[in-house]
Amino acid sequence: MKDEAREGAGASMLYVEDEADARQMVTRMLAMNYPHLTVHCADNGLQALELYRQHTPEIVMTDINMPVMDGIRMSREIKAINPEVSIIAVTAHSDTSYLLSAIEIGVHHYVLKPLNYQELFTVLDKVLEQIELKRLVSAQHRRLAQSECQLAAAQRIAHLGSWQRGIDAENMDWSDEMYRICGLAPGAIPPSYHSFLERFHPDDREEVASSMQSALSPDHQPEHKFVRVLRPEGDVRIVRIDVEGVRETGGASGVIGTCHDVTELKQAEQQIRLLTEELERRVLQRTSLLQATVSELENFSYFVSHDLRAPVARLEGFCTALVEDCGVCGHANCRQYAERSASVVQQIKQIMDAFNSLTHLARCTLTIRDTDLSAFARGIARSLAAGEPQRKVEFVIAEGARVKGDPELLEKALGQLLGNAWKFTSKKEQGRIEFGWTDQQGVRAYFVRDNGAGFNMKYAQKLFKPFQTIHAPGEFGWGGTGIGLATAHSIVLRHGGRMWAEGEVGQGASFYFTLEPNPESGSYLKEA
Amino acid sequence: MAPSYILLVEDNPDDLFLASRIIGKACQHEILTARDGEEADELLRRMEQDDSYYQIKLVLLDLKLPKISGLDLLRAIRASAKLQVLTVAVLTSSDNETDQEQCRELGVVDYIYKPMTVERLQGILSRNEGAQ
Repeated sequence: MKDEAREGAGASMLYVEDEADARQMVTRMLAMNYPHLTVHCADNGLQALELYRQHTPEIVMTDINMPVMDGIRMSREIKAINPEVSIIAVTAHSDTSYLLSAIEIGVHHYVLKPLNYQELFTVLDKVLEQIELKRLVSAQHRRLAQSECQLAAAQRIAHLGSWQRGIDAENMDWSDEMYRICGLAPGAIPPSYHSFLERFHPDDREEVASSMQSALSPDHQPEHKFVRVLRPEGDVRIVRIDVEGVRETGGASGVIGTCHDVTELKQAEQQIRLLTEELERRVLQRTSLLQATVSELENFSYFVSHDLRAPVARLEGFCTALVEDCGVCGHANCRQYAERSASVVQQIKQIMDAFNSLTHLARCTLTIRDTDLSAFARGIARSLAAGEPQRKVEFVIAEGARVKGDPELLEKALGQLLGNAWKFTSKKEQGRIEFGWTDQQGVRAYFVRDNGAGFNMKYAQKLFKPFQTIHAPGEFGWGGTGIGLATAHSIVLRHGGRMWAEGEVGQGASFYFTLEPNPESGSYLKEA
Repeated sequence: MAPSYILLVEDNPDDLFLASRIIGKACQHEILTARDGEEADELLRRMEQDDSYYQIKLVLLDLKLPKISGLDLLRAIRASAKLQVLTVAVLTSSDNETDQEQCRELGVVDYIYKPMTVERLQGILSRNEGAQ
């Protein structure tokens, strides 16, 4: 016992003695020997009872023979209030007649008058020791009750029941939550092995029984099973069962297990599975739709590139024949018409080539690699400048535009955009062409900006359509295929991106494009 | 002197007319025509037998032909001990790269996109005469 506890720490005592001198003496001795013990004094039973009610001390030391209310009567009253109280009777030899009644009411300690202090302290030490022991035991009880309470609450919150069974025993232990998971009030039925198995779906009982059996084996590996619990009202819960052997020296003495109600979790999983399947079905459906469209386009472009070529070639042949054979005819119109027909045939061929080149972009296989757009832009700028060294154009190219994409196609797209800027700055004294990027709402948009002719925003929709021009023919030279921006647009679309333009007449134009961060290699066409 | 020929294998009458017109302008050779692969094959077999095939200075071969295709006819020519020496140029409106590749492997002297021009044909003929 700790010294402080021995000295009465935390304990208090009611001392009842009618003789004032004796009371003072004893009180002083107690204060010296038990400095931590709180002592309340009374000079008769009635006053003592009053004090007891006020302070409820653990120890009562009392004289027996007192006026107003004697020690025996007072002790009986106090015991009635608190049966746990320790009462020390201080008796003279003449009081022995009271002793029997004292024992009867539960006074277990006594010291004889005249007081021998050594004797008193021995008794008091023993009482204090008992009080400390009781305090420890009740603290343990409290802790135990608290953790049981916590365990039950945790099981209830987590929908996790537990149970235990001795080897081949019919009787089991089920936790309250185990009952609740099975749709029963705690303790509603005796927790037997048979009624345990009966909680489960008939098809799952074998599984549960075998889990319990195999858990007894010394080399049992932890495993869990999902089984169905059938509640009395008829609804089905899905539970996860975990079983372990309880080992003691000499082998397994039984099994312990948990039963976790995961119905909602399983339902959510099922829901996710259904949604995923649905999504996959839709992706498949759309992919096949897309493939059908692409394959349609494939047929159409085959038609243009092959079937249409033959008659156009014939037309070209006849036009040439016309120019050669009828060009010398006296009628002036003949030669002119023949030549103009020949030039129309050339236009048709150009359109067919442009069409084939655009459809090729939609169909071709992408080879995705790490690509440095800045490096491409530098190269393109160099070759544009070398092509027309007399022009004064400042290129401002941001470094480090690294993306994932098909390098060949992206270089082509960038070439079209920079070439476009080059063309439409041709009438500027000092041209300026910029390549860079801006981050908008987490999406990186690359841009090619120039200070050239610009355009009216009401024509913005026409920009990316093939053969659509918004400047008069010849205004910026006769070069160009009429599909430059359409080509760049197609390439960006193939990379899962978007392209748009901003401009103002005479104030230059900006072409923006985004790219999918991780575009997929390959093409939309089914593998042949 | 035995006549010399250009064998024109072509099924489309317009193309046949245009090509014949160019041949007539470009050279003095007589024109033999076949309207499909089979007809060309039979004609070549006959000339192989009577050894008149050497009079064919050039075979102008369309690829898309009824019955036997141009490519198959070309293979047959290359497989024949005698006919394999024939000079063949392809005359086509298709830009199929595989066809072009295969024709090159089968040793065609030119791959002409329609319409053929006088200059192109004369170029082939003069290179060929030089080689012979």
